[in-house]
Amino acid sequence: MSGRVLVVDDEVEMQRALRAGLKYHDFDVRAVGSGEEAVREAAVWRPDVILLDLGLPGMDGFTTLKSLRPTTRAAVIVVSVMPGEKDKVRALDAGADDYVVKPFGTDELVARIRAVLRRQANLREGEPVIKCGDLEIDLARRLVSVDGTAVHLTPTEYELLRYLGLHAGKPVTHTTLLRQVWGEYAVGDRYNTRYVVAQIRKKLGDDPANPRFILNEPGVGYRLFCLGQ
Amino acid sequence: MSVRRLAPYGVAVGGVLAITGAIGVITSLASVSGLSALYLLLVLWLGARWGRGPAVAGSVAAFLLYDFFFVPPVGTFSVRGPAELIELAVLLAVALVTSQLAASLRRERASAEAIASDVRALYELSTAMLRAQDVAPALGMVTERAKALAPVERFAIVAADGSELAGDPLSAEELKQAKWVYDNGRAVGVAMKDGAVAPMRVHGATDPLGYLPLSSGVAVMQLSGADDRVLGALIGLADLLLDRRRAAQESERVRGLEASDRLKTAILSSLSHELKSPIATLRAGLTALIAPQAGMGAEQRELMTDMDHQAARLDRMVSDLLALSRLEAGVALDVEPHSFADLVGTSVRQMSSELNGHDVSIHIPEDLPDVEVDEGQVGRVLANLLENAVEWSQKGGAIEVGAAARDGRLEVWVENEGPAITPTDLDRVFDSFYTRRAKGTGLGLAIVKRVVEAHGGRVSAENRRRGPRFTFTLPLAPTRVTT
Repeated sequence: MSGRVLVVDDEVEMQRALRAGLKYHDFDVRAVGSGEEAVREAAVWRPDVILLDLGLPGMDGFTTLKSLRPTTRAAVIVVSVMPGEKDKVRALDAGADDYVVKPFGTDELVARIRAVLRRQANLREGEPVIKCGDLEIDLARRLVSVDGTAVHLTPTEYELLRYLGLHAGKPVTHTTLLRQVWGEYAVGDRYNTRYVVAQIRKKLGDDPANPRFILNEPGVGYRLFCLGQ
Repeated sequence: MSVRRLAPYGVAVGGVLAITGAIGVITSLASVSGLSALYLLLVLWLGARWGRGPAVAGSVAAFLLYDFFFVPPVGTFSVRGPAELIELAVLLAVALVTSQLAASLRRERASAEAIASDVRALYELSTAMLRAQDVAPALGMVTERAKALAPVERFAIVAADGSELAGDPLSAEELKQAKWVYDNGRAVGVAMKDGAVAPMRVHGATDPLGYLPLSSGVAVMQLSGADDRVLGALIGLADLLLDRRRAAQESERVRGLEASDRLKTAILSSLSHELKSPIATLRAGLTALIAPQAGMGAEQRELMTDMDHQAARLDRMVSDLLALSRLEAGVALDVEPHSFADLVGTSVRQMSSELNGHDVSIHIPEDLPDVEVDEGQVGRVLANLLENAVEWSQKGGAIEVGAAARDGRLEVWVENEGPAITPTDLDRVFDSFYTRRAKGTGLGLAIVKRVVEAHGGRVSAENRRRGPRFTFTLPLAPTRVTT
């Protein structure tokens, strides 16, 4: 089995389709139809990944996400029909690991689930060097290199890249980046993060029109993309 | 002359007679000189109490009686020598000067009291006005107070749109004139200088009304004379009230717009949920069965794949329809400065499976200034143009995306290798529901046009040597200083 997936969706047909589709990809799947059941099932069954639909009746998706977070270490992938940028940001800031827009194909969903599972495994190892394709971030020595060539970053640029590196593959919101890099009470807006990211990309030789490392998540933030992850 | 106005003169003459009697009594008992100064006390009091007239009358009466009873030869108005003459002249002169001084003192006190009462009235009016919840009653108070002023015959306040708000009723013609005055910002028949208002007679003008333009309305008045500053102050208050009224109307309008925007967004998102949920279930089910582990035969899997592609197409059509209705509903854009290369990178990545197998090249200069756009909407424009390019080119065909700053705007083009667009189609490719082939929805390029025009840009289509090229413009962001 490649892992336990808890599907939270109020539509029985969707539950059935996802149960079948994920089972064919070797996942152990359970499905529930409400936020309350999800919180209970997460505590008892201990899934690795929770697929949480935001449009739940009763206890809504955001409330469920908040109730899940303190008790479970499972990765949460938020699922929604045409989520606005604000919904995505809210879900990520509330502790979601990724989001998928409905409708999606099973292949795409499986790829996302595998990515968050891999990320969790990497996080647990606690490697001192983050490797992301040709990009290397040496956390102990605060050194960054691309293709073995050292890249000199300012402290702000390093902090931002380090944070993206620690959460490689996960979309990180502008708000989170501002707080992590400029401090809890940072005053600023997306313009600041955009500016710093543009500088980092320039130094890493990362073309924004065809990015290798830092991907833009429209209206949300950035994601460090690592080939082969 | 009325008795009321004559009374002070009676008091003056009576007072002088009484003082003359008192001087007579005192001089008969003892020899005291300089008692004529007693008259001056009376004259001072008369001047302070009633002004110059009674004081002068008292002065003259005192002069005559003193001459008659006390200046030798006693009992006649004639004077014996120069010493007596000088004494009398001094008495008259001192009495007259005293009366003058006392009277001007009285006048100044009266005008100080008038100013104080005006100031008090204006203060009370403005505090009442500020406390008033609605502008209309406060404007009523101002016009009432203005009409109570002596030189004001008629007074009214007219709004910027030419409707009357408070004061004396005006005729349709007068309201039209007021509107003209507001639109042109020129006063007619009155002038305001140093806070005071004065009528100005224009030669040959028959209209006795004066019109004074304010920042959000017009003060209309008929004056019989120049005004001390109270009218000017009242007009200033009216101006403040009109401003407040306009600000209140403006915020009301904005609130209304926001509410309708929220409603439109809520309806559209609920609609999209209803339309897309069945497609989501369909696609999840179909793609589940495509997995080899599901145990379907090759033929069945092919069938499932076709069905999934159709479901995905249906999803795109619903997205297009919803996007178009969002644009038609006029939901506001969320504009921010963005690097255009970033937007292209994102769209190309999101379309990677569709673009797979095509030779995509991107030509964006590194020093391109930022654009100020709605990221999501412009992403849709790029996605739709790329989708169109894929649809109209062979597998492996070249697709080019380029951008350049031109005449203070960003010019973007998407070009593909493929058949030229026919001249009839060239005119209509951006129309809603117009499609060049049976498969299309006729919405993709219509959305491109709407989004670009909502940003104040323009779209065009042309045939290049290699194939069709679509061009659009976007606004550049104002340069921002970073710290």
